[in-house]
Amino acid sequence: MNKNVLITLITACLLFLGACGNSAIQSTSGTNEKTESSSGGNESIKIGALLPNSGVYASLGKNLNRGMELYFEEINWEVEGKKIEIINEDSEADPQVSLRKTRKLIEQDNIDILTGTVSTAVAYAIRDEVDSKRMPFLVSHAGGNDLTRSKRSDYIWRSSFSSWQIGNSMGEWAYENVGKKIYLTAADYAFGKEVSAAFKEAYTAAGGKIAGEVYPPLENNDYSSYLTTISGSDADAVYAFFAGSDAVRFVQQYEQYGVKEKMPLIGSGWLVSEDLRASQGNASEGTLAATFWDYNLQTDENKKFVTAYEKKYGERPTLESLEGYDAARIIAEAVKSLKGDVSDSKKVVDAFSEVNFQSPRGEFKFDKETHHVIQDMYITKAKLVDGKSENEVIGTVKQVKDPGK
Amino acid sequence: MDIIGAQLVNGVSYGLLLFVITCGLALVFGILGVLNLAHGSLYMIGAYIAYSVTVNSTENFWIALIIAPIAVALLSLLIETTLLRLTYHLGHLSQVLLTFGLAYVFHDLASMVWGSNVLTVALPPSLSGTTTLFNQNFPTYRLVVIGIGLVLAAALWFIQEKTRWGAIIRAGLCDKEMISALGINIKLVLTIVFIIGGFLAGFGGVIAAPILGLYPSMEFQTLILALVVLVIGGLGSIAGTFAASILIGLVETFSKYLMPELSLFLVFGLMAVILVVKPNGLLGKKVA
Amino acid sequence: MKGNHSIKFLFIFLLMALSPFFLSLFHLNLLIEILILGIFALSLNLLVGYTGLVSLGHAAFFGIGAYASGIVAKELSPNLIATLPVSLLVSILVSSIIGMFCMKVSGFYFLMLTLAFSQMIYSFIHQSTDLTGGTNGLSGIPSPQLGGVDFSNPVFLYYLILLIFAAVFTGLSVLVRSPFGQVLIGIRENETRMKSMGYNTTLYKYSSFIIAGALGGVAGSLYTNFNGFISPSDVYWTMSGSVLIMVIIGGAGTMAGPVLGAGLIVILETIVSSYTNMWMLIIGVIFILFVVFFPKGIVGIGNSLVNNLAKSKPLYNESKPEAVYKKDA
Repeated sequence: MNKNVLITLITACLLFLGACGNSAIQSTSGTNEKTESSSGGNESIKIGALLPNSGVYASLGKNLNRGMELYFEEINWEVEGKKIEIINEDSEADPQVSLRKTRKLIEQDNIDILTGTVSTAVAYAIRDEVDSKRMPFLVSHAGGNDLTRSKRSDYIWRSSFSSWQIGNSMGEWAYENVGKKIYLTAADYAFGKEVSAAFKEAYTAAGGKIAGEVYPPLENNDYSSYLTTISGSDADAVYAFFAGSDAVRFVQQYEQYGVKEKMPLIGSGWLVSEDLRASQGNASEGTLAATFWDYNLQTDENKKFVTAYEKKYGERPTLESLEGYDAARIIAEAVKSLKGDVSDSKKVVDAFSEVNFQSPRGEFKFDKETHHVIQDMYITKAKLVDGKSENEVIGTVKQVKDPGK
Repeated sequence: MDIIGAQLVNGVSYGLLLFVITCGLALVFGILGVLNLAHGSLYMIGAYIAYSVTVNSTENFWIALIIAPIAVALLSLLIETTLLRLTYHLGHLSQVLLTFGLAYVFHDLASMVWGSNVLTVALPPSLSGTTTLFNQNFPTYRLVVIGIGLVLAAALWFIQEKTRWGAIIRAGLCDKEMISALGINIKLVLTIVFIIGGFLAGFGGVIAAPILGLYPSMEFQTLILALVVLVIGGLGSIAGTFAASILIGLVETFSKYLMPELSLFLVFGLMAVILVVKPNGLLGKKVA
Repeated sequence: MKGNHSIKFLFIFLLMALSPFFLSLFHLNLLIEILILGIFALSLNLLVGYTGLVSLGHAAFFGIGAYASGIVAKELSPNLIATLPVSLLVSILVSSIIGMFCMKVSGFYFLMLTLAFSQMIYSFIHQSTDLTGGTNGLSGIPSPQLGGVDFSNPVFLYYLILLIFAAVFTGLSVLVRSPFGQVLIGIRENETRMKSMGYNTTLYKYSSFIIAGALGGVAGSLYTNFNGFISPSDVYWTMSGSVLIMVIIGGAGTMAGPVLGAGLIVILETIVSSYTNMWMLIIGVIFILFVVFFPKGIVGIGNSLVNNLAKSKPLYNESKPEAVYKKDA
């Protein structure tokens, strides 16, 4: 009996799947280049957005999407007479699923440009696929160092940040402005380790001492034990890298266990990011953080961006909204400089490299050598304004450039 | 010495929090023999309801403490009577699939209603202060959780060992046929136990929310932790669950203090060692 | 009856062999993935469906096979002659160690002990950043080779994996029908009885555990070779959960079931999530519908359809192998 079932089902599936698209033999017997379906005529420019719409990173994915949509709406979803079309795929922040979705976007949907990925593991997982298919890929969040170092590809450009930029920018500043001896703590995963290593390098190079280090697991429930240890040390301050729910718990417990009274808390922008401070309440007050954009950045571009975003979505933009907004702009600028012809992926990435504009975060430009953004980093301090926690920009580290190796 | 004392308080507090989260699962598994993979989801719904009730006024925390468990209990009633009941004769695998399916459904329903941002439940001023012990500040609420956990454990132990209801429930665990022969409606007993399990899950959600927070996929993380506590304690034993909660609380806390890089490994290592040495858990009865 | 089956089997094999000619590249890649996960589900099915040991830690072997392959391919040689056997050996080694402990417990405790071991392996992979790349995963794995053939072309790779799949499927089919397989089924139905009949049931269970682990490792190795990438999320307990669901939804204790289950889950996850962010809701509802209406899995649906169509025919129900066992006994 089993075989009957097997036959019917398999036949049905295969016929269903076979009903659409070129056969695999046809696609692989030619060159490996992306199919040039959208090169001529009035067809739209297809952008594949591989972002997490479900799971732990869902809110980051949502904000990246919103930022992109806001920019494309401002230009009426049109560049050089061509329509812009976003094809959204849920990466589920899972590398294998993302690889599957990347194949779908490239082979099935014939996208022209790929953007997205929040998780660094996802970016690494699809790196070879993107590189061998010569698909222009604009990384709009994932910050793992190697993506623009040992895993650099001609077709991969990153407009967001690298973990090195986040950690390094605060090292010297912390030595001069916060204290000479610091306790280091970060979530135990690749990104947390990279950021804290970059901080440690810059901080000790400036003359600072490390009082101790501890790396709690990712998605750790209870920091009480670590906080008891930290509070027993002789450090002047604590540098912490946590994000999402970890950041909320850490910052809250940091205050509840009375460590805040003894040692100021410094860290990356995600520790007290725009979408977390409401949940953290007053516990975030006084926290110093390094970031490449803040809601309260007082520039014309930023005010315009913030107003437009709040008008459209009725809530504050986050760092990820800005990343999406900028990614959309970079793509649009590149397409514009190519007069709308995106058929040659080499030319598309060359056009990426020339993109230069005033972003809400400051001047935006790529390092042509590393394919990574060169940007100002800001030091923010959380303060209470009318009983609510607000970040204030209190310092700028100019033109932070990833060394690229 | 102070630091050891402080860590001891941390460990006991975390352990009792685990007990509050796990006891509903332990009850349901012990008596119904159903591995409820949706336990984490019930816990999550309790926590989210607590969030909605307290979002405008922290004093509503007390109301949440009543409303959320009852709401989750009602939901459990619905699950038991419409779906779970169908699987009693189908065996463990079907129950695994059913409750896992429910967990998926609740996951998306929760993100539809409450979104995917990280949220926290704020405490009323009477609970949000700090208390100093061993020269170290502790959030008062952590100490309150110790009290709640102890009271809950005592109440469950009393009901199970000393009341007629407890006797029926214990009998149900050993021999379902005998119980129905005595003229007790076994179906009703199972339904009520599942409702109590749901109530406890919802209660755990409210109690844990101010400490652990609310975020997408929180239920799966809680579930796996609860399963570990359940197994180490041994199935069908509230006392075992209690002992396991405290043990894990202490082991995790001290491993984070003494050898932080191993803490991820240690809890599961502990579970493996206990199962190999004592195949039925610390205080468990043999359940196939 | 027997000849009829071979013809059907040949038909399926031909259809699969011709797939690259009418499937698009994306769908062919999807099919490759289904075949690999099919092997993985089949290996678990030997434990769950035939031996009656429900494991929630099977991802451990998948992960070990996958990482072993990845590390060998990166450090030594991407030749399949090197990667596949190493994966096989390592997963046999690990499953024989874990199996030794797991044989001491039964039922629900077996499920949890396998979970404990797999989570320990997960944390090891997660922590050993130098060896495994930690959370970022192991990437940049060169594409597999065999002799002079480079399998970076997915069509070649498809045929290779199809062959391995056919071998595993046939091998397992023969195994479960063999006297050895019948003892396993006997253990599933009533272990005490098999013991009293003089069988060393622990040894049988242990062998079944090792075979399942070894084949899980093979599936993992193929997965790495196919994707050029492996990450800790494939060793996490959710992976063990989803392969268990593939087995249950397809129909535990049947040969076709797990493969169909793998196909259904992969297709659902890929297609549903392209259209809606609420894919977990839809998949969850499908799980529930299966429990309520088709508790015997996909194979169960098919069988009842076939039975309804041919009500008058006498039934030789091969999805209930205990009938065979009783005959032997």
